[in-house]
Amino acid sequence: MRTYKTLLALVIVAAALAFAAPVHARNIDLATVPPRESVQLTIYNSEDLTLVRETRSLSLKKGVNHIQYSWANTLIDPTSVEIRPLEKEDQIEVLDTTYPGDKPQHCIWNIDSKMEGQVRFQVTYFTSGLSWSADYVVITDPAEKEMSFDGYVQVYNNSGEEYEGAQVRLVVGVVNLVEKIQDLARRGVVPMAAPGAPAPKAAKMRAMREAVAEAEGAGFAMAARAPEIIKEGLSEYFIYTIEGTQTIQNGWSKRMLSLRARQVKFDILYRVRPHQYGPKPIRFFLLKNDEEHKLGTTPLPDGAVRTFRDNGRDGLCFLGEQSNKYVPIKEDIELNVGIDDEVVWEWTDMGSTREKFAFDYNPPQVVGWDEVHTWKEEVRNYKGKAIRVEIRHQIAGDIDLDAEMVKLYDFQTAEFTVDVAARTKLPIHYKYTSHMGRNAKQSRIRLKQGG
Amino acid sequence: MLSRARLRVLAFCAVMLVATAARPALARIKLTTLPERQRVEIQLDNANATLIEEERIVTLLKGTNQIDFSWSNTAIDKDTILFRVVDMPTRNKKADDPASLVRPDGKVETIRVINVAYPPNENALVWEVYSEEPAAARVRISYLIANLQRSFDYRAVSEQDEKKLVLRKYIRLDNFSGEEFGASGIWAGFGNYFQRQVGMNEAKQMLIWKFADVPIKKTYTFDWWKGRTVPDEPDQRYVEMRYVLTNDEKHNMGKFPLQYGKARIFQKDGRGGEAFIGEDWGQFTPIDDEMKLYLGLARDIVVKRKVMKNQRQNVQGNLFHSEIVLEYSMENFKPDDVTLDISEDMLQLREQLCGHKDHDPEWEVTAEGTTLGKEQVERKDARTLLLHVPLKGAPKGQGEVKGVTASVHLWLRNEW
Repeated sequence: MRTYKTLLALVIVAAALAFAAPVHARNIDLATVPPRESVQLTIYNSEDLTLVRETRSLSLKKGVNHIQYSWANTLIDPTSVEIRPLEKEDQIEVLDTTYPGDKPQHCIWNIDSKMEGQVRFQVTYFTSGLSWSADYVVITDPAEKEMSFDGYVQVYNNSGEEYEGAQVRLVVGVVNLVEKIQDLARRGVVPMAAPGAPAPKAAKMRAMREAVAEAEGAGFAMAARAPEIIKEGLSEYFIYTIEGTQTIQNGWSKRMLSLRARQVKFDILYRVRPHQYGPKPIRFFLLKNDEEHKLGTTPLPDGAVRTFRDNGRDGLCFLGEQSNKYVPIKEDIELNVGIDDEVVWEWTDMGSTREKFAFDYNPPQVVGWDEVHTWKEEVRNYKGKAIRVEIRHQIAGDIDLDAEMVKLYDFQTAEFTVDVAARTKLPIHYKYTSHMGRNAKQSRIRLKQGG
Repeated sequence: MLSRARLRVLAFCAVMLVATAARPALARIKLTTLPERQRVEIQLDNANATLIEEERIVTLLKGTNQIDFSWSNTAIDKDTILFRVVDMPTRNKKADDPASLVRPDGKVETIRVINVAYPPNENALVWEVYSEEPAAARVRISYLIANLQRSFDYRAVSEQDEKKLVLRKYIRLDNFSGEEFGASGIWAGFGNYFQRQVGMNEAKQMLIWKFADVPIKKTYTFDWWKGRTVPDEPDQRYVEMRYVLTNDEKHNMGKFPLQYGKARIFQKDGRGGEAFIGEDWGQFTPIDDEMKLYLGLARDIVVKRKVMKNQRQNVQGNLFHSEIVLEYSMENFKPDDVTLDISEDMLQLREQLCGHKDHDPEWEVTAEGTTLGKEQVERKDARTLLLHVPLKGAPKGQGEVKGVTASVHLWLRNEW
């Protein structure tokens, strides 16, 4: 049972006669409706934009043929609809495109043919309402040394149109659009571009369509296994082609495996950044999108990463979920898996003393001084294995820092990286001098040693 | 067993419209088998999310099968649903197997998830699963569910002499998820593992651990700045009594951190009964840290505090030191000896005596003029001075309580 009726129609208006002056019936049409032979969807995730390419065979007569195309209740950008013959191109010419003022979401092509017979045409257009997203599922082993890393793509169809047996391609990248497709689809009145002077956006989109066409691959049905996702570079973008064809009904979404990596090694780092993460250490799984980590065949599109651990008791434990940014090939992947109750970090300000006073005015007033602060920190590791902890402190002002194991992350951030053995505590003591008032000559941390 | 009512809530079905190379059913008319849950695990080890894992045996025909999973009146996070085959059947790879099918161990899995489809406006999804052979596969479905929450609470019974107590830690499971879970494994990530039925809208409290013979440190704290005022006694504040439990092995605990939760403390009354002596919210307590439970006022310990000296000493220009003497008068009307902890907030003291400043107080306690020993004076942190004063218990019989007076000589340095 078909739940939704097909809304796109390509019809050959019967009034089209070779060499005859058009005699149009205004309100009564007799038309043949050639079916869609194939359809390809190229879906962009940075914008609500999908390039649809469909092929249909039209039976042409010699002379001018009127081809009507309509797209009621869809989200198609009327300015993007194009038709071109896929064969006998030297004998067929698309003369013009007319958008009737009294019929919204229609256009009529006048096609001049020097031959008679069936010809395959390609209709392309932009639509909105189709989208896709990526997400990832990570499951570590109980010892947290290796992980499985599965990537998925999910395609959503809210376009108002059903695409049966469509070849689906997904573009990873950020394209520029000067107008939203949805707005263009909604606008109804179509401003025609001056002949020979295509709008910059149209030129850009045409260039992209051509680039996409070059990357096109053949599709075939795959029932016995998940469709392969073929990844190719495309200008600044990446294109994922889902093997075979897919039917995604209007309103439905479909999720498919896009990458599968096993036995992926990773490192664990605890980060203490009170200014960024609050007062508790945050645990990170660190790996790289490269071959060494069984990845690196494709950039990883933005998407949610859900991380689990095999709990060693025939089940999973949910560690956390984060939204990950786009990861280029060879770039680091950082998975924030949240706080760990078995690692404790404590910081205590033990107080300050003041010295080196500067005075001005009459009677003299304090206008400058130094404050010597004493800080005490402790990392406690209750885990059964050693951990590495990176601690960052932002300290504003003109600071002289006297500590071991410290380096500067930036002009006002000190960074300590320490290894803490299993079930041990590591105390860290240090002092810093803050030059205040007129004693402050800079705004930076200066290390007295190390760094 | 799965009741009919439950089936309406959470249904998992293998759609019998099974054929090799079949496309997803366009119509949502289904003939289904209803595999029962074989096992359910409720994983509560994440403080922010509850993970459900359920196992069902799904009969798969050779070819493509559609497995429908739907739910209503329950808040399952659709994006977190995982489908995994337990004890995945495998075979040796064949020459024509695509590389993507071959695992690192050279085997090929004979059951494969092709895709997942999500119908519109339904809490449902359809897995398309290919099986090379007819099989009864044990599958595990995992998902995060809302409104199935854990919380912790504590119940302690102290001995009559308040030297030791027995602490019971409970986990409470509140199931407002809209689903019931029969014979489920429940795991908080530590402590005991439970097998329980969890009914809909049901709360279940389970003993997660019992700590016996836990030594108690009973503290009495006088805090001028935070303590409750005493009517008509402007120089007094009430003394607060706390139980302090140290979460380490030496104190017969330290097995895992103690989560935030309400702690109710009872004391044996010597007649086989117990009396409730107070409750407090126990803060999250890592291993080796102390859980301090404020139980009530100790009104048998009376403390007065006075500022006996506040004198500026000019240094240069507008720079000065401030000399301060605090005097504490203490009386212990309890029969037992106690140690009183006096907490002094140096920032607030400086604000009171020197006015508001933009810099931290620089302070020190000098031995000269301080009547307490060095070990009784503790600098806790940049703004907190702690004093520890032993107080003898009230004499038995007719003897009078002897008060103790302690003076602290302080300097607030380099103020302007």
